[in-house]
Amino acid sequence: MDLPEDLKYSKEHEWAKVEDESVVVGITDYAQESLGEIVYVELPDEGSPVTRSEAFGVVESTKAVSDLYAPVSGTVTQVNDALLDNPELINEDPYEDGWMIQIAASDLSELDKLLSAAEYAKFLEEEKAREEE
Amino acid sequence: MSQTRRTLFYERHKALGAKMMEFGGWDMPLAYPSGAVKEHLATRKDAGLFDVSHMGRFLIRGRGASAFLQHVLTNDAQALDSGPIGAQYTIIANETGGAVDDAYLYRFVEGEYLLVVNAANRRKDWEHLRAHLAGFDKVELIDLTGERVMLALQGPKSSGLLEEIVDSGPLPAPVRNAVSIVTIGEARIWVGRTGYTGEPVCFELFAKRQDGLSLWDILLEKGASPAGLGARDTLRLEAGLPLYGHELGRDLEGREIPVPAVRMTRSAVSFSPLKKDFIGRAALEKQFAALDKIIANDFSSRSDLPHLIRPIALTGRGVARRGAGVFKGGRQIGTVTSGTMVPYWVFDDRGPRSRPTDRHKLRPICLALVESDIGQGQAVHIGIRGRAVDAVVVDRHLRSDLPPYARPVLR
Repeated sequence: MDLPEDLKYSKEHEWAKVEDESVVVGITDYAQESLGEIVYVELPDEGSPVTRSEAFGVVESTKAVSDLYAPVSGTVTQVNDALLDNPELINEDPYEDGWMIQIAASDLSELDKLLSAAEYAKFLEEEKAREEE
Repeated sequence: MSQTRRTLFYERHKALGAKMMEFGGWDMPLAYPSGAVKEHLATRKDAGLFDVSHMGRFLIRGRGASAFLQHVLTNDAQALDSGPIGAQYTIIANETGGAVDDAYLYRFVEGEYLLVVNAANRRKDWEHLRAHLAGFDKVELIDLTGERVMLALQGPKSSGLLEEIVDSGPLPAPVRNAVSIVTIGEARIWVGRTGYTGEPVCFELFAKRQDGLSLWDILLEKGASPAGLGARDTLRLEAGLPLYGHELGRDLEGREIPVPAVRMTRSAVSFSPLKKDFIGRAALEKQFAALDKIIANDFSSRSDLPHLIRPIALTGRGVARRGAGVFKGGRQIGTVTSGTMVPYWVFDDRGPRSRPTDRHKLRPICLALVESDIGQGQAVHIGIRGRAVDAVVVDRHLRSDLPPYARPVLR
């Protein structure tokens, strides 16, 4: 599984790419793999407010519907419209072409609550162990 | 939990890397690594190969077989006894005009009928049929599910592909429901122009168990794409074909769905005098009379057929899933029975000679059980996570009348 070192991760399986106050958000390789073939995405409009750990959109695969959770609070500054017609980009390339929204973060201290690649990998291991119990 | 059964092809599915799922008591491929979307598209443009050996298969033979089938099935079984049409869609009805199951009846050899039923209903159907054997002399009912395999080969290239491998015997005439017997190598294969995908070029193949694996292997070798239950479901949904438990049987509130509520079943019921007083006849006659009136915009007998299954296309953004409400003017008038996003090929033109391009898109469609006075062309809304998404009742989602391609009907 692909877990780029330069990204931050949430326990809801979103990734965040932080550049100053701008945070680009998508779902992780693990998330796209567990969802299966993604056939539909609902994303907020530019200018919408988002709140950390609250749903900002929806992703649907052939077998499941899942909310998308914001890793940080702020305002949506850009939306990846390409996903609306080509949701399969999320499966094909979750960290680049499959990005979802860009957020202008309102509270940078929230970033400290996100996980590093190593921490997220450990979290996935623990989740897997819990499931197998 | 009782043990799930495996078809002859289980190891083939695993070797191909299929994601498996339990379905009707069987461990079946949901999708291969290419995914259900690509498998759906491959079936529409080339040829998809489906293991459908989980379906129940009963052989009915003996001097009383025909009379027995006329009594327990809604279609006219005797119509299969002459001419090239050797298969028909049919319903195992109950006395109240509901479906115990929907089924396909084949006649490949004189005096022998093969009834193909849903995997999940096999035991129930068997008990039902056995219970009605009393009163019919000389009828043998044999469960062939374990000893014959069944494969579906569907899509525009399936005809050419079969021609390449058949050693003797003609393929069935190029009309739906024609049947024939061919040999491939040493194997004798029963072939029907039938299927559950809406493809105008379609075959279902029945082989003895010992001939099954070589048949599977040669079909893949000649270029058919393996397709799982995920693609089978989106293909049948696009074609508007009912799935028992969704569009037939009982609805989400536990009410029985009358057989004529589903368009496809209307060719599966015959009131021929040859059928005498078959199970469900009186109730079905009443429901069909109500249907004829509804079609003529007379709703005076609506209580005999309060709801119909209608195809609905979403024009707004969203995915209608089973259980979502259908609304008109703020009032709920129905419920989605099956729905998802389905892929389709973009065609290069609109006419009969148009061909699919290499571009595909996705569209949200569904089937819904709606009040029977809601007709084609009406604007409705689907409730999806608190939003009212625009939608329209349509005639069909797919047209299959211009072979070799099944074409999407878009809104």
